Amino acid sequence: MKLSFLMAISFLIFLTALFAGPNMIDPFHMNEVEKEILLSIRLPRVLVAALMGAALGASGAVLQGILKNPLADPYILGISSGSALAAAFGLLSGYYLFGKFSIPLSAFAGAAVVSILVGAFGWKRGRLLPERLLLAGVGLSFLFYAVLMLLISISSYEGIRRAVLWIFGDLSIADWSLIPYGVVFIAAGLYISISRAKALNALMLGDELAHSIGFSVHRERLLLFISVALMTSASVSLGGTIGFIGLLIPHIIRFMIGADNKLLIPVSAVCGGAFLCLADLIGRSVMPPMEIPSGIITAIIGSPYFLYLLRKRDVLGT
Amino acid sequence: MSLEHSYPILEVDNVGFRYERNKPFIHNLTFSIGNGEFIGLLGANGSGKSTILKLAGGILRQTGGEIRLWGKPLHSYSHKDRAKLLCYLPQLLDMNLPFKVRELVSMGLYPYDIPPALTTGEALEMVGLQKKAESYMANLSGGERRRVFIGMTLLQGAGLLLLDEPLANLDIKYQLEIQRLLRELKEDKKISIVMALHDINIALQFEKVMLIKDGGILATGSPETVLTNTLLKEAFDADIRIRKHETGETYMSYENDRY
Repeated sequence: MKLSFLMAISFLIFLTALFAGPNMIDPFHMNEVEKEILLSIRLPRVLVAALMGAALGASGAVLQGILKNPLADPYILGISSGSALAAAFGLLSGYYLFGKFSIPLSAFAGAAVVSILVGAFGWKRGRLLPERLLLAGVGLSFLFYAVLMLLISISSYEGIRRAVLWIFGDLSIADWSLIPYGVVFIAAGLYISISRAKALNALMLGDELAHSIGFSVHRERLLLFISVALMTSASVSLGGTIGFIGLLIPHIIRFMIGADNKLLIPVSAVCGGAFLCLADLIGRSVMPPMEIPSGIITAIIGSPYFLYLLRKRDVLGT
Repeated sequence: MSLEHSYPILEVDNVGFRYERNKPFIHNLTFSIGNGEFIGLLGANGSGKSTILKLAGGILRQTGGEIRLWGKPLHSYSHKDRAKLLCYLPQLLDMNLPFKVRELVSMGLYPYDIPPALTTGEALEMVGLQKKAESYMANLSGGERRRVFIGMTLLQGAGLLLLDEPLANLDIKYQLEIQRLLRELKEDKKISIVMALHDINIALQFEKVMLIKDGGILATGSPETVLTNTLLKEAFDADIRIRKHETGETYMSYENDRY
């Protein structure tokens, strides 16, 4: 019941985001210009928002489970700050070796390098230890943000505004070219995490009990970490770092449909996608032609709601 | 009850284990668990009860010797196959889980691709939680929470349960309730159970007790032979007396309890 309600709402948001905005498009009477806007601007933008939101919602749900920490979000591992730093390097140094792929590519490279670094720091005695992973991520985040701020403060380059926008998530650059790559990585991450959903449930019971009900704890945790790294890296390179979806959506969904990851991961993905589409729709509609970065909108809607939830009930949704 | 005719399910053969380099914690540990046995593992804090159970459950890997489950080395089983034969419940269970009772109990089915004969509903009934199926863990009593995990192990269908202090931190009412449940399971389902204890009075009610000290077995056998004043003094480093009530019941008292 709640599930079909959530799915219906999400579907409605996807449709609205396609046709609404500063220029309303009537889906039944489109002229050539409107068709062009829909196909080459709106549709890729909605797809990018949906992909990023899905990746963030799902990886938030997975991370909260493997780290057994209700405050974990995909960026706590430093993946966002690492890729933001790499992207800023790309923007500020002005290299355009790979054309318009330069920024997303450097962001993805940054994210991938940081994922490996965090994994290496979190690795001890042949296993991934959640506490080490968490602390390594927080430590690296601080380092990367500091370097990023340093870069921004010593640079007079006008690309600085784009660098800042990137950090808060910028969907205005979305076009078709990146979507196939995003789909591949995010679909791979979603496939791994949804197929390991039972193992994630088991890991939430504690390592010993998870072992006792037949899981190789270290292998499962590594696989799930890889799925998070894939999804987060792809999401960041599609449109920057967008806060709060990874933290908030899984909590809200858990509260509505329960904590079973077999449902939680896919539903968090769908609703995360819808939420980012909605935030983007608001961001580009409230004061056109200026656009408010979606990351700011998600945080402005997200934070008060999160605080409200926090007051209302236990964070874990019990 | 004839222990002589029981055959071993789990054999621990000359096993050694160390947590730190050059500091053996367990050495030359040898014992076996027979089919249908109900064994109490008694010892002081830090004596090695939990370590022994974790080795037997495959959570820890021995640094020497061999552990065999149904005649095959324990670590040669796949995780899923092992889970169908043997189940270990840790002492510290996270009680603040965001799952419902039914969801948790049904996780006992995870090792199976084809569900076994027992259903989640039946397992809930066996542990007396059918009315709480849709409740969250946070809203249950201590005894009920323990029963949730026992329900999970039932569904798992393992013939050997290794329970680390299943009665710890429970009110006496729930201690009795869990003990009664475990004895029923042992009788009805022919499950072998090994549980770690530190309460001597509870150990007195077992058919077989293993007294643990310094990572080794001090004595094994019936409570009458194992729970003697001398052995208890050695295991617990305290003056403990086992007394017999005029009704025939045995109980424990302290040497210095006359004040």
